[in-house]
Amino acid sequence: MAIVVKLDDLLHAKRMTLTDLSDRIGITLANLSILKTGKAKAMRFSTLEAICAELECQPGDLLAFDADG
Amino acid sequence: MPTDHSTLLGVTRGLLWLMLALVAAAFLFVVASGGALVAMWPDIAAEAKNSKIFLDADTMRPQLFALLGILAAILAVAVYVLRQLQALVASAASDPFIPANAARLRRIGWALVTAQLLAFPLGWVASSIAVSTSKFANMGGIDLQGILAILFAFVLAAVFERGTAMRDELEGTI
Repeated sequence: MAIVVKLDDLLHAKRMTLTDLSDRIGITLANLSILKTGKAKAMRFSTLEAICAELECQPGDLLAFDADG
Repeated sequence: MPTDHSTLLGVTRGLLWLMLALVAAAFLFVVASGGALVAMWPDIAAEAKNSKIFLDADTMRPQLFALLGILAAILAVAVYVLRQLQALVASAASDPFIPANAARLRRIGWALVTAQLLAFPLGWVASSIAVSTSKFANMGGIDLQGILAILFAFVLAAVFERGTAMRDELEGTI
């Protein structure tokens, strides 16, 4: 997929696990896992907002476009 | 309301089984009629002559065979449609928006097209052997309701296809 989700990097930088993030933003671990592995087809603004608020980042820090992807 | 929904599905399931039983009975009747045409033709011809429904009762045996053959084919199509509907109703209890249901509806549409196409020769054969004023002669031919049912099945198939795609997209949305 051309859109790369860099959730793993952000979690690593914050020393946080996917389970911690799931508990804090109220999105299931299964869904966050789908997002992290790049299997999600779409992302809600509310999800983006919750992740950015919790990880103190910008949407651009979470998502990147890979032209070769 | 879920209760109404399940009641409706239950009634539909029962009606489909009833219709299958009726179609099976009609099929047996057609087969029995074919047998009677072979075994009891002189009696049948005499009876047909007395009824004054048929133009030439003595020479119509091949047409009657053709008529029964077409009727049997239409009944076979009806069984196919009813079985597809049963599968649709069964899936409606859990998850109706699956690609298989769009395919089923499209198959129902094509089966109805086949039935409508079979109704034309049925009409020609019936009108060739019966007096035009009799009910027998008006068998088959173009049926507006049948054409509407065909359109309905194809439109529903497209709706199910789109619905399935939309739900897939929604399920992949985080």
